Amino acid sequence: MRNFYFKTFQRDSRVYLSRSSSFLGPIVFFLITITLYPIAFGSDEEQLAELAAGIIWISILLANLLSHQFIFNEDYKDGSLDLVLTSGKSLFLWASIKIFVNWYFSSLPLIFISIFTSFMLYLPFDAALILAITLFLGTPILSMFGALAGALTLERGNIVGSSIVIPLCLPALILGILAIQSYKNEELFFYIFLLAAFLFFSIPILIASCLGAIKLHFE
Amino acid sequence: MRQFFSQLISFPYFFKLAQLSFPYIFVISIFVILLGVSWGVFFSPSDATQGDVYRIIYIHVPAASVAQSIYYTMVVASITYLIWRIKMASVFMISMAPLGALFTFLALFTGAVWGQPTWGTWWVWDARLTSTLILLILYLAIISLFSSFDRRDSTDQAVSIIVLIGGINLPIIKLSVEWWNTLHQSASITLSGSSIDNEMLIPLLISILGFYIYVTAIGMRRMQIEIIKREITHNWVKTIFQEKR
Repeated sequence: MRNFYFKTFQRDSRVYLSRSSSFLGPIVFFLITITLYPIAFGSDEEQLAELAAGIIWISILLANLLSHQFIFNEDYKDGSLDLVLTSGKSLFLWASIKIFVNWYFSSLPLIFISIFTSFMLYLPFDAALILAITLFLGTPILSMFGALAGALTLERGNIVGSSIVIPLCLPALILGILAIQSYKNEELFFYIFLLAAFLFFSIPILIASCLGAIKLHFE
Repeated sequence: MRQFFSQLISFPYFFKLAQLSFPYIFVISIFVILLGVSWGVFFSPSDATQGDVYRIIYIHVPAASVAQSIYYTMVVASITYLIWRIKMASVFMISMAPLGALFTFLALFTGAVWGQPTWGTWWVWDARLTSTLILLILYLAIISLFSSFDRRDSTDQAVSIIVLIGGINLPIIKLSVEWWNTLHQSASITLSGSSIDNEMLIPLLISILGFYIYVTAIGMRRMQIEIIKREITHNWVKTIFQEKR
């Protein structure tokens, strides 16, 4: 049993590593968007420091949309999704591993890069640390919503899925931004705990609905 | 009672019932809306601070109330569909979503028209306005999902999953938007601040009731159309249209 899940993990990681576009794409996109904001708004230090948290969060949200299709789409096309569905293994664990690998290769690099870009946008060091923490808690939520969108639109991989996901991700964005903005007060922990609560609340619901969405392509 | 409900979810029975009752419900709704709105616009006293501008409340509040209620009824329908696979529930969701979008837009539009003379701007990033805007986006996203599948069942299931997730998420979105808002500006603009006088409240309640009856009537009509679209090859649809000729 354990072998199957471990091999899923291994195989998915190799696919991501061998195809540079799938993990470099979001990084390049993220860096480009980050560069666009100072060009559009001007390089005023105070203004950028005020906007920095929002800029980074929005850029990560948009960069996340790029990697959604990779989660289940290829397995669907080459037919291995059929085999997994009929194999009788725990689908919940299987989907969690796939989403985790996607998060590991598309969001985790962005979190590390975002620490550097936050200095480029003149965000104070304390706030940059809080930013990293909120991103650690928030990006899995985005990945799971993205997996749901990808699972719903397996056949076409169109923009519809993404447009559904963004309004639903809103609490994560708001809580993340609020935590960074109140990095000097005690309210900080309130928002971070709420973000963590939102994460743990959405894990079972979103992965279960992902599986429901996948199954509807095979009925 | 149980038998009545089990009959209600059969397509031919519902179709006939809606066909019979639609004219009455529609006429009643128009009558009630006209009563409530004209009472409010012509006979109720003008507001002490806002003058006559406030009278748009007789459209604005019913529209906003209906817009939210439609979403919650859709959530109930989506649960019904996902558990019991009752096709009528998916027909309900698919025919109500455009109505919900329409009323959400109406609420936002009348709100903007009302906001211009009273607050001085068309739009404020107030918690209530923002969450209504997100509701509109959610409705539009659900509508855009209708045509992204080839098979009927897949569409129904995808729509019900998204409606359900949105229903779980909507209270969270509302709460978080309120937190976000209170940090930026004090909530100076709330309707609940001033209690409404009875002479204004009664026509308001009447027009809210009228809007609900209107949505029931139009929703039934839309469900009939959706049922015909799905059952066009069945015999009972053919016999109904042959009787008409």
